[in-house]
Formats: sequence, structure tokens, C-alpha cells
Amino acid sequence: MTSLIRNPLTIVWALLTTITVVSSLIALDGGAAHQINTTVTTAVLLIAAVKTQLVIWHFMEVRRAPVWLKATTSGWVVGLFTLLLSFYFVSL
Amino acid sequence: MTNVAEGFTPGVGNSRPDDSRRDHVPGDSSMWFFVIGDLLIFGVYFVGYMYFRGQNHELFLQSQARLNLDIGAINTVMLLTSSLFVALGTEAARAGNRAAALQRFWIALAFGAAFPLLKMFEWIPEISSGLTPGTNLFFMYYYVMTGMHLCHVALGLVIMGFVIRNLKTSTTPKISFVETGATYWHMVDVLWLVLFALLYLMR
Amino acid sequence: MAEVPKASALPAEHATSWRKNRKLDQWIAFWSVPFFFNLFGLVFVPLSWMMPPRSPSSTTPNIVDFMHSHNLLIACVILTLAYGLAPVSNACYLMQVRRMSVSPAFRYSMMIGAITGAIVGMLFPMFCFGLGAFRPGYSSGVLTMLYDFGYLAFIGSLGCFCVMWMAFGLAIILDENSILPKWLGYYTIWQYVTELMAAPVWIVKSGPFAWNGLMTFWFAMTLYVSWQIIVYVCIYRAIKNQPEAELDNASPELRPKVVELRSGTSA
Repeated sequence: MTSLIRNPLTIVWALLTTITVVSSLIALDGGAAHQINTTVTTAVLLIAAVKTQLVIWHFMEVRRAPVWLKATTSGWVVGLFTLLLSFYFVSL
Repeated sequence: MTNVAEGFTPGVGNSRPDDSRRDHVPGDSSMWFFVIGDLLIFGVYFVGYMYFRGQNHELFLQSQARLNLDIGAINTVMLLTSSLFVALGTEAARAGNRAAALQRFWIALAFGAAFPLLKMFEWIPEISSGLTPGTNLFFMYYYVMTGMHLCHVALGLVIMGFVIRNLKTSTTPKISFVETGATYWHMVDVLWLVLFALLYLMR
Repeated sequence: MAEVPKASALPAEHATSWRKNRKLDQWIAFWSVPFFFNLFGLVFVPLSWMMPPRSPSSTTPNIVDFMHSHNLLIACVILTLAYGLAPVSNACYLMQVRRMSVSPAFRYSMMIGAITGAIVGMLFPMFCFGLGAFRPGYSSGVLTMLYDFGYLAFIGSLGCFCVMWMAFGLAIILDENSILPKWLGYYTIWQYVTELMAAPVWIVKSGPFAWNGLMTFWFAMTLYVSWQIIVYVCIYRAIKNQPEAELDNASPELRPKVVELRSGTSA
């Protein structure tokens, strides 16, 4: 059991769950839910980028994969979130 | 890494010391083709969503407020936990520890199955209160994207079922098959992480 | 297991006359596809401007004009004559699926899916627009209904094609003879998903999810066209590499080997 808790994968999971809760709390802005908030959006999207990268790197084992796979998946994360944030800010 | 060297059962997967597993593509490379393509296709949906949102922030914000953020967050944790156990199960299978692998995959399946169940608790009240795909563009995107994702989840659960069956009944379970199924499942998780941020959290 | 001679190892006489080519039937079916698609494309784009789809929220006078247009008439004539090529082109897929190790249920599903899809997706729009073109007496209300019917049938007929492409994709993935590459099976799954993506067209009349929308039409088309070209190349290779001895109409001197293959004994 303790070996399971000390397993690097479990540690990654704990990190993922924590930042999920954190980003959910950030988005809970009480009664002000109908307003644009660049801080919240940026934070939430960057956190999502970190989470996807963590899952891909550790759970999907891309960490130990050939360079082309590392490049492709990381490229997707970076490219997607760059586009998302760009479209968001351009539209404001 | 803990259990790699011990508990090696001949015929169950390839057990190799950690440092020789570099440059390893987990599972079938054709599954990776599918995963990357799927990530790109959903990517187009995500960017499309952001583009159209940019043309009507008010509408999207008002509509978002009607979503059930609690269930969304719980579902995120469900999938993350399910992914954890898939990864742990894959590790165990590789180490030759069939019993542990089976146990972990069953747990993963349980957490994974919770997702569609919770989703019903989300969708049914929403639809009953008149929030349908035709309501507005936000809800169209919401239902289409979460719907497509749900189909992926369903397929992933079926695949996991096959992996479990393979681990249980086959005398020489194929590690490559386990890895392929795992890769697919993690992709489903990744897609949800983005969906959660775009639909529920962003303002 | 007996040695199966590859196409290139056959005696010289087979190479000389194209009429004696045992794969002629498959090649005819194969080449009918681009011919058919080019005709289809001609009919639907420059002749009738049906593709890219017109707006579902067009005004009534626009719709009436379109339904009475001269081009639409020519388009319908061509379509009526060319419709028969649809089954011929689908035959070239089925010939290769037949070689796969999977259950015959897959190719029967493909066949039925293709048939129902062609009827709903091609024949119905043809009737609808044909009525507009060949029968001048209808009221604008009726014409609007026919316009809606035609377009919805064309783009909304996704159920049939879903079944067809799902069967095709699964057959490729599960096939142990590797007639077609595995990644193509996955690509075909996306092809089937694009059919599902079209479901929203029943609900909205404007925006990215209408039948002429960014998501349901343009994006789906990008995936579909690229897939069609790629699957076409793969089928070409599969026909080319198919050992002559495996053909149903294999020549007599190869036949004893065919019998041996089937019964599993060696020469």
C-alpha cells in the first residue's frame, strides 16, 4: 500500500487532483459569474495546459518515448493553448 | 519505481529494467496515429468554440452559468483517478504481476463507469429545464462536444473490458494490447481536461 | 502452405493482353470511382451550385429561383444517368473486404449501409430538385419544402453511412490478413464520426452547425475528402498486390493451388 502511495504516478495524480480543485475554486466567482475575467481565464487555461502535459508525459509514458512523439504531443499542447488564448484575447 | 524486478512471471509481458525502456512507443503505433488525429480533430472543435465565443461573450457567459460545475469537477477527478489506475495497472502487468494488474484495471473501470453515470445527472436536469442543443450556440457546442466525448468514454470502457478479459483468461496476456488500451483511455482523459476548462471554468 | 505467385511473377502472356487481365473487373470498378466522383462534382458544383450548400435560411424567392433554374435541370439529368455507377464503385471496396479474415457480417453491413445511404443521400435529393426543375407548376410553399427535404436528405442521411463506415473501419482493424493498413481503419472511424457530426443540421438553420456550417459542412468535408483520396490509394495498392491465385476467376493453371490453399495441404 505504501509503495502505491509513493509511486511517482500517484504523486502526479495527487498534483493533478489538487490543481483541478484549485482551478475549480478560481472559477467560482460567486455572483459575478456573468462577467469576462481575463485573469481567471488565463489561469484556468494555463492550468489545463499543465494538466494535459502531465497526463501525456507521465500516464501516457511519452516521457520515455522517442523524440518525434514527444515533439508531436508537446506541440499539440503548446499549439492548442496558444491558439485558444490568442483567439480569446483578440476577441476582447 | 518499485515492483519492476520482483514478481516476474514468465510469459506475462516483457519485464525489463527501467533504464532500457527509452524510446518506447507504448502499444500499437496505429493507436497513436488515432490518438494524435483525434487530438487534432477535437482541437479544431476547441478552437472553433473559442472563435465563436469571441463573437458573443455575453451569450456564452450567461449560458455557462447554467452548467453544473460541481458534477463537472467531480467527473474530472473520476477520470483522473481512473487514468491513474490504468497507468498503475499497466505497470503491474509489465512487471508480471497479473493479480495486481487485474485489480487495478477493475478499479479503473469502476471510476471510468462513474463518468457517464454522473453525466446523466447533469444532462437530464438540464434537458428537462429546456436547455437543449437548439437553445443557443453555446449549448450546441456543449452537447456536441461532451456528446462526442461521451462516445469516446463508452468505447474506452469497452476496450478496458477487453483488456481485463485478456489479462484474466489468456495464458500469455499481450502487454502491447494493455498499453494500446491504456493509451486510448488517457487520451479520453486529456480531452476532458480541456473540455472542463473551456466549458465550465473559463470566463 | 503452397507458394502463391505474385502478380509480377506470372507467365508473360498474362501481361500482354489487358482483356485477359483477371483483375479487370476490379479495375473497372476502381476506375469508375473517379469518373463517378468527377461527374458528381460537376453536377453539384458548377452546374447547380448546390455545393457548398446554400443557406438553410434562404428567402422564399431565392429558393423558388433556384428550384426553377436551368442548371438544376441539367444537373438532374446527369445524375439520373450516372446514378447507376454508385453500386459499381462500392463494389471495389467490397471485393477487398471479402479477403479479410473478419465475419461476412461486416461486408453485408457495408452493402446495406451503402444501398440505403445512396437512396437517401443521392436519390431523394435528386427527386426533390428534379421536381423543381422538371415540374414548373408548384407553389412556393411546396418548393420550399422540397428544397429543405432535398438538402436535409443529402446532408442528414448520416445513419446509413455511419453503419457502412463503421463496418469498414472495424473490419480493417480486426482483419488478421492485413489487406488494408491498420491506420486506415482508424482513419475510417473518423470518417464515420464526421457523419455523426452532421446530426445537428436537423436542429439549427444558421451558424457553424447548420448544414452549410463551419463544423458540420466545411470541417466534415475536409476530413471526408482527404479520407476518400487516401482510402482510394490504399485500395489501389490492395488490388495491385492481390495474388492472382486468390481471385474468384483465377486462371485454370493457378486453380489447383487455390484449392490447396483452401484445404490447407501443400504441393
